[in-house]
Amino acid sequence: MIDPIDLQVLTGALRAICEEMGAVLIRSAHSANIKERRDASTALFDARGQMVMQAEHIPVHLGAMPAAVEAILAEDHAPGRSWVLNDPFRGGTHLPDITVITPIFTGGDLLAFAANRAHHADVGGPTPGSMPADSRTLADEGVVISPRVLDERAIAGLSEQMRQLQQRRADLRAQLAANRAAALRVEELVGRAGRGTVEQAFDEVLDYAERRTRACLLELEDGARCGRDLLEAREGDLEIVLRATVAGDRLTLDFTGTASQHEGNLNCPLAVTRSACYFAVRVLTDPDIPPSAGAYRPVEVIAPEGCLLNARPPAAVVGGNVETSSRVADVILSAFGRALGQGTMNNVVIGSEEVVYYETIGGGQGACPEAEGPSGVHVAMSNTLNTPVEALELEFPLRVIEYALRRGTGGAGRYRGGDGVVRELEATAPLSFSLLTERRRHAPPGAAGGEPGARGRNLLDGRELDPKASGALKPGQRLRIETPGGGGYGAP
Amino acid sequence: MVLGVDVGGTFTDAVLVYDGRIATAKAPTTPHDQSEGVMAAVAAVLERAGRRAEAIDTFAHGMTVATNALLEGNLARAALIATEGFTDVVALGRQNRAHLYRLCAARPAPLVPDERRFGAAERTGPNGVLASLTGIEPLVRRVADSEPEAVAVVLLHSYRHPAHELELGRALSEALPGIHVSLSHEVVGTFREYERAATTEVDAALSPLLRSYLRRLAERAGEAGIPRPAIMQSNGGLIDSDAAARHPSWTVLSGPAGGAAGAAFVARAAGAPDALCFDMGGTSCDVCVVDQGAVQEQSAGEIDGRPLGLPMLAVHTVGAGGGSIGWRDPGGALRVGPHSAGADPGPACYGRGGTEPTVTDANLLLGYLAPDSPLAGGVSLDLDAAERTIHGLADELELEPLACAEGIVRVANAEMVRALRVVTVERGIDPRRYALLAFGGAGPLHAAAIASELGIDRIMCPRASGVLAALGLGVSQRRRDVQRSVLLSGERLNSDAITAAVEELAGRAREALGEPQAHIDAVYELRYRGQAFELPIAAGPSPAPEELRRRFEAAHQERYGYRDPEQQLELVTIRVSATVPGADVELSAADDGQPPRTRREATLHGERLGLEVLRGAPPPGTEIVGPMVIELPESTLLVPPGWSGAVDATGTIQLGAG
Repeated sequence: MIDPIDLQVLTGALRAICEEMGAVLIRSAHSANIKERRDASTALFDARGQMVMQAEHIPVHLGAMPAAVEAILAEDHAPGRSWVLNDPFRGGTHLPDITVITPIFTGGDLLAFAANRAHHADVGGPTPGSMPADSRTLADEGVVISPRVLDERAIAGLSEQMRQLQQRRADLRAQLAANRAAALRVEELVGRAGRGTVEQAFDEVLDYAERRTRACLLELEDGARCGRDLLEAREGDLEIVLRATVAGDRLTLDFTGTASQHEGNLNCPLAVTRSACYFAVRVLTDPDIPPSAGAYRPVEVIAPEGCLLNARPPAAVVGGNVETSSRVADVILSAFGRALGQGTMNNVVIGSEEVVYYETIGGGQGACPEAEGPSGVHVAMSNTLNTPVEALELEFPLRVIEYALRRGTGGAGRYRGGDGVVRELEATAPLSFSLLTERRRHAPPGAAGGEPGARGRNLLDGRELDPKASGALKPGQRLRIETPGGGGYGAP
Repeated sequence: MVLGVDVGGTFTDAVLVYDGRIATAKAPTTPHDQSEGVMAAVAAVLERAGRRAEAIDTFAHGMTVATNALLEGNLARAALIATEGFTDVVALGRQNRAHLYRLCAARPAPLVPDERRFGAAERTGPNGVLASLTGIEPLVRRVADSEPEAVAVVLLHSYRHPAHELELGRALSEALPGIHVSLSHEVVGTFREYERAATTEVDAALSPLLRSYLRRLAERAGEAGIPRPAIMQSNGGLIDSDAAARHPSWTVLSGPAGGAAGAAFVARAAGAPDALCFDMGGTSCDVCVVDQGAVQEQSAGEIDGRPLGLPMLAVHTVGAGGGSIGWRDPGGALRVGPHSAGADPGPACYGRGGTEPTVTDANLLLGYLAPDSPLAGGVSLDLDAAERTIHGLADELELEPLACAEGIVRVANAEMVRALRVVTVERGIDPRRYALLAFGGAGPLHAAAIASELGIDRIMCPRASGVLAALGLGVSQRRRDVQRSVLLSGERLNSDAITAAVEELAGRAREALGEPQAHIDAVYELRYRGQAFELPIAAGPSPAPEELRRRFEAAHQERYGYRDPEQQLELVTIRVSATVPGADVELSAADDGQPPRTRREATLHGERLGLEVLRGAPPPGTEIVGPMVIELPESTLLVPPGWSGAVDATGTIQLGAG
């Protein structure tokens, strides 16, 4: 048994290891996605594949990392043999998120796994950026990497199938370097504290997080709450249905009744659905609880196989990770009486065969019961940085025409929702574009009498586009993205 | 004779260096006008040294006026002019939210509200002007109508093409005489518009306050017959007070920079030029790395969530200090901080109404501090109060009180170890090759435990531990940095282009310093094209591109474990420093004889043991063998069993493990 002091000291040490992995990854990667936008996560797992600790960079990876380690758990592990995957149906989320896992051995025995996931700027899909707006199967979205050993040959082979191969190579190497750093630190920790204590610490951290989550759930009122919301597919709206039940210190999130998986790319593998659920649970409980698998033991997620939130192969999934996940978090938060934020990441991909610009754009946050919603921020499953206008114009054949708050778009209320954002871009060379956005048809609702935020709009030279759109840009053509405002809270 | 005066949260410290000796004095800090406390401390130190004001050659000052104004929001009514379409540049920030899961946690509000943001009709791209600046006159009139006390001007790509900013600057100065105008290319000079804009806003919003403070201080100094003050900048160098008044953003982190400069000075004097410095006070702990006798720098930092895009000493602060409070969290773990009892009421053992168990209470209960030995400022400690409050927490945690006290210390240490890891391992630095230099009231108590945790086998504790920042001010160099993003790659990255840019920047830096002969150093921020982070490479004023590449690749290999010879090299930013060395001071500790010795019981690793206690600063040559406690004038050093060493000629206690 570890005392309350060792528990706190070792929790800190494990968190520091994950943070150092993140520092190595972000600093040594090449692509702007990872470096500027920090679209990456790092975590430590025990030998049984339970996530012990995660560095929190971006919530969408929160609950989805365990599936990746599970996918390689039964493989033949040896010191220095790392694994790579991106297959959404075998441990991944969507294809641009490539996960690298390295087993950590001490004294010849497997002790832990270091894992990190990074959003690559391209994975060899038919459109630059590999974030197609109109994919119908997984094969339309890029190179599918089933779990396999990652060595220099694999790095070379995989990079060759993708755009900007030097960048891909550098990013994959950075992912390996991050895991190596973690392995070194875990070995040091074992050297100081002993293997037995470290293993015990893994168990204790998991139990500790579980205890704290249960204590928070106990404070929520028992009973069932229902929620429903809509996703804006090309063919029409898709419904997400939730029944959330609190029973003592347990929470069940049941999505039975949700639309079936569809022909577009808004499908989620179950791992992504879980991530979104865990995000909402973290918002509703105490964010100070360490992000370990223990925190989610009291939470049961039910999504029938074949539905939008537990899709089967060969479903296309690229929008599920970035958009449906936000809606899953929304439907849970609204069931618990919260006003909603913009509910979309406003994915914009513009590129050519030489360059790819991918960006997500902030918007209005929903107001809270005791505070206004912030304006111009990422609201849910993403929290990536923008690309500075000056950096963008230096690297891409684009000119930014306007980048401003979209005033008056937050919903009125006792507390106002946050305002959305306007970002207008002009092509200075022939380019293709692809937009994956939501809340263009249905505005983010307020709560407790608060008014909804304004819906978003996508405009090409002033002409309104669909929520999911792609096409070509001639030099001089302008793409204007107006992101949604957040819902207000309480009657104005 | 050199005078250094540092303003802290509770006390203002003065150090006078004369004939290789130092005199120190303290006066209460006067928050309403720091210059009062400054002059009181100056009078006190002169009296203690028995010297006259006229004999002072230089007066260096570290202040917290700018920092406090920012933290308290006590700022001028500023206006912002930005390129039309981009006036929300600061409000938008980098679009990340303040907290991942507390969804309504707000970022710090922009210093310029909506109604005083104005768009300039112009557009410059990375390669030059795309649309010329029009409508200057009506724009300036609208700005004037908003009655600003200062104006910030931030136009896109001005780091490279400043013509429009200069034009607006001239028009504003004519129309608004006496109003401070901050131009982003002058204040910051680097690309990435948000960081440049936020820093320029800070510069503008601080200017009226800082100008009047520095004027007052200069007047008081004149009346007292001492020289005009030189002001410590965030970069660890001094600048004359007129220049500081014109550029408020240069001195935002003046306070911590003085402490770091003092630590570097002591480390050099003690013959340990590679040191991790660890300054622990009542509410917070500042850490930094000294390499080859110089404090590590960073090209940018932040204060209270606002970016500062200017070179500064890399001082990392965490909220762990003697006043940090221990508590049991709902999962049953022992936590320490971030809440602090601060200086008022202070820890329970201060007997001023504090009721919660703090790190200082734990140190007292464990016997490292003693009730009959007052702390700096004459605070005497109440053991019963410490015992009562720690008993309460121990019961909650089902621990013995002494085990609980040791736990509080260990958890606090873990927090500080984490801070030291941020400035070392997370930046690719191995802490084991450094000595740990501990100072501040509480630093030396925790030094040995923290060193062991990091694998460090050497610690140092300076005699002037409690007034190190003031000493650092007195001996600091004068310095001015000027930087500009040049973004050169391919054929444009050639010796001629580099030399021309460095010469221009060097001219500006020397001019700002008022020293045409000042020494010039240059740092080149390089990256592979496509990367978004740069690595700083120090080299001479006209390096060949091949030389830069070679050194960059070596640094990249060391930091990240690989190099990429096929990738193009890009020179992003050039940073030039003009410096004039500080006073040449050689410390020699006075031999005031051996301090009295006594013994007391203490608890370490769960065991009771007898400690030898030195009550005062031991003279050079004194051998130190743990377990021992040394009660220095302003701090206490704990020497656990297994640590031993001696006092060196400068009065610094140097210890080794094993």
